[in-house]
Amino acid sequence: MEKENLLELKNVRKVFGQTVALDSVSFTLYPGEIHGLLGGNGAGKTTLMNVLYGLYRKDDGDIILKGEKVNVQGPRDAIKLGIGMVHQHFLQISNFTVLENIVLGTDVNNRYTMKLEDEAKKVEDLCKHFGLDVDLNATMDTLPVGTRQKVEILKALYRGVDILILDEPTTNLTPQEVDALFVSLRVMVNDGLSIVFITHKLREVLSVCDRITVLREGRNITSLVRENASEEIFVRAMVGESMDIKNSIYFSQGERKPVERGETNQPIFQMEDISLVNKDQVTLLKNISLTLHPGEILGISGVAGNGQRELAETVIGVKQPNQGKITLRGEEITEKTNEDLFKMGISYIPEDRLHDGFLPKANVAQNLILGYHRNKPYSDGTFINWKTVFKETRSQIKEYNIKTSGPDDIGGNLSGGNIQRVMIARAFSMPSDLMIAHNPTRGLDIPSMDFVYQKMLKRREDGFATLLISEDLDELLRMADRIAVIYRGEILGVLERDQFDKYAIGRLMSGIKDS
Amino acid sequence: MDILVNFLRLVLLSMVPFVLAGQGTMLGGRTGVFNVAQEGIMLVGASLGFLVSYMTGSIFLGMVAAMASGALFGLALAYFTTNLKMDQFVIGLALFFIGIGLSTLLPKLVIGITLSPPLIPTLKDISIPLLSQIPVIGPIFFQQNILVYVSILVSIGLWYFLFRTQKGLEIRAVGEHPMTADSLGINTTSSRYWTTIVGGALIGLAGAYLPMVYTGTFTELMVMGRGWLAIALTFFGGWSPLPILFGSLFFSGVEVLAFRVQVIGSIVPYQFLIMLPYIATILVMIFTFGKSRVPSFLGKNYDREKRSV
Repeated sequence: MEKENLLELKNVRKVFGQTVALDSVSFTLYPGEIHGLLGGNGAGKTTLMNVLYGLYRKDDGDIILKGEKVNVQGPRDAIKLGIGMVHQHFLQISNFTVLENIVLGTDVNNRYTMKLEDEAKKVEDLCKHFGLDVDLNATMDTLPVGTRQKVEILKALYRGVDILILDEPTTNLTPQEVDALFVSLRVMVNDGLSIVFITHKLREVLSVCDRITVLREGRNITSLVRENASEEIFVRAMVGESMDIKNSIYFSQGERKPVERGETNQPIFQMEDISLVNKDQVTLLKNISLTLHPGEILGISGVAGNGQRELAETVIGVKQPNQGKITLRGEEITEKTNEDLFKMGISYIPEDRLHDGFLPKANVAQNLILGYHRNKPYSDGTFINWKTVFKETRSQIKEYNIKTSGPDDIGGNLSGGNIQRVMIARAFSMPSDLMIAHNPTRGLDIPSMDFVYQKMLKRREDGFATLLISEDLDELLRMADRIAVIYRGEILGVLERDQFDKYAIGRLMSGIKDS
Repeated sequence: MDILVNFLRLVLLSMVPFVLAGQGTMLGGRTGVFNVAQEGIMLVGASLGFLVSYMTGSIFLGMVAAMASGALFGLALAYFTTNLKMDQFVIGLALFFIGIGLSTLLPKLVIGITLSPPLIPTLKDISIPLLSQIPVIGPIFFQQNILVYVSILVSIGLWYFLFRTQKGLEIRAVGEHPMTADSLGINTTSSRYWTTIVGGALIGLAGAYLPMVYTGTFTELMVMGRGWLAIALTFFGGWSPLPILFGSLFFSGVEVLAFRVQVIGSIVPYQFLIMLPYIATILVMIFTFGKSRVPSFLGKNYDREKRSV
């Protein structure tokens, strides 16, 4: 028997300027199911749910809830209809308490003198029932990411939603926290909630979802019941026909020879006892020692905001350490600036492409040589040789599949994924002994991610070193020869590839050190 | 003793424009709208407040007119920044210049040029029964004009509103992270509108205080930088009503002191003395600025559908 739809989105279309983000996408949700919305970056998953939640106005299409067509003008309407959404980038007021964040916007008992005791009681009951443990009186910005995630879910539950949308809820969680989240989700479904689970991680949807819808480039690809489908079907649906899955790094982890570290293979790069303290005397990095050998990919794992950015900026010379020594090929570079380091053969993919890596008003060619514009062949030492620059960048645009009209196109016309490709192209086209890559695949779709991985392995074969700082644990497990886990600016442990275990790494990520 | 009591009385009397303009700035800022047109709005408030009082003979109507003009400026600021998403600072400066122009133009149109300045009766002191009889405290706190009491009550009221009511929580949320507020069904547009309008009205009233209490007439540019100081005061007070109330005592204290020294007559030139409040401001800011908390979204405009790349 056909189940009754709880919610149906019909032929939804959404256009941003020139880009069609959603092209006639449909979606159905049954009561009491966890429905995975799967797709790579830029597939339109979040946009579709933002339309449902009223944050984006749809250009065409219908929303049908419990058999009736509804008009969602804004989040207020969505909440009234019993729809709640947990956004990937948490929507929280960082200087409010947990309780204030949860009750914000609802009608608290007494409008004129906020009485929060009763509300606190209600929220505490929710916490207990769903296994979400949070201190209600803590100020938001003192809490770790995992806890803030729980607050975000509590916000929706407190409003008594029937439909809960979770947008990439596992991004910043340790593997242990992911498991706990999945348990909570099951409790919610047993209580009658219906859940939409947005993710790009195939393994997650397979382990928790009842039905799965795959989107790609703003289009419906397929919608299947979990039991009736194999992993291959979803992989193919996510990446399209053109990608060679068998030889991809994204989906398969081939064997590889361990890196030799010894007399014959001197380290390229060494950090010894590096500490960094900011002007408020807060320790950002604490006694960090790392070594990279030729042909090695060293992964840095950790929950976002544990010193990864500071580590990258210390290596690249943007920040000067207060203590310790850094050497490149035996030469001390501790005091060198980033200008020197670029010339000495270090390349850098910064984490925040809009602030640190890209000039929206400059053209694509200028962006592609940015930072390396003083180096040969782009410059003869005094003048930039634009002829060479344009020739080189034109071939880079082709090789890295950057969607732009040409090297003289203005950078600001590029989409986020293409800006990331510019940064990748820039770093990879310069010969460099050491590359520092901070979340290099953020915002890329799966074929592009795979392309970056291929490039990175090529570097490995050629005997260059790569420091891969990533918040995506799967990426590190795929790529790294060793993984060092950073927690509050300290390296808590280093694991060799044959010891990789995501739960062990997860413990270190949450600061638990096995002794 | 008398000199001290008299000095403190004057400090309280002169704090009113700072308090009202500071609270007005703070209220708009709490939803992210950073008003920088205080000087202009206060001038219009002073000019129109004086004119309406002069024409109707009612100081109360003058105050209402001043507040209405301030509210209108607030409305314009809210419209250009919230609906048209224009730069708040640029619009604020434009409104400031419009304010200067209007404030001088209006009296010339209505009254024309006269030999002796037209005068209105200044606000009378209101003695609170019993309380005003207390020695020292009585004359300082309880024999003041009505706007002194009003400004203190407004400050306390705003504190209660912002930190003790649900609506206040929502207003603060809009100024911290409008996307969050919006996602919870709070109307960010209307919040920004009404706080900026009410804030503008308070700033307009602050301007009207000058002819109604100090001079009894309107003179060109009579606000003399108090509007700019109000911005500094708001930062000084960490965008919170009660610290702003206390901070305004400091600003008016320096003002009264500079005036006193000037009256006594000293070798220090007059121009130096009127510089004093600004120098004091800079000094105070050096020591407090970095530490004071500012609403995170201050000075920015929110666009729901704008995608961050």
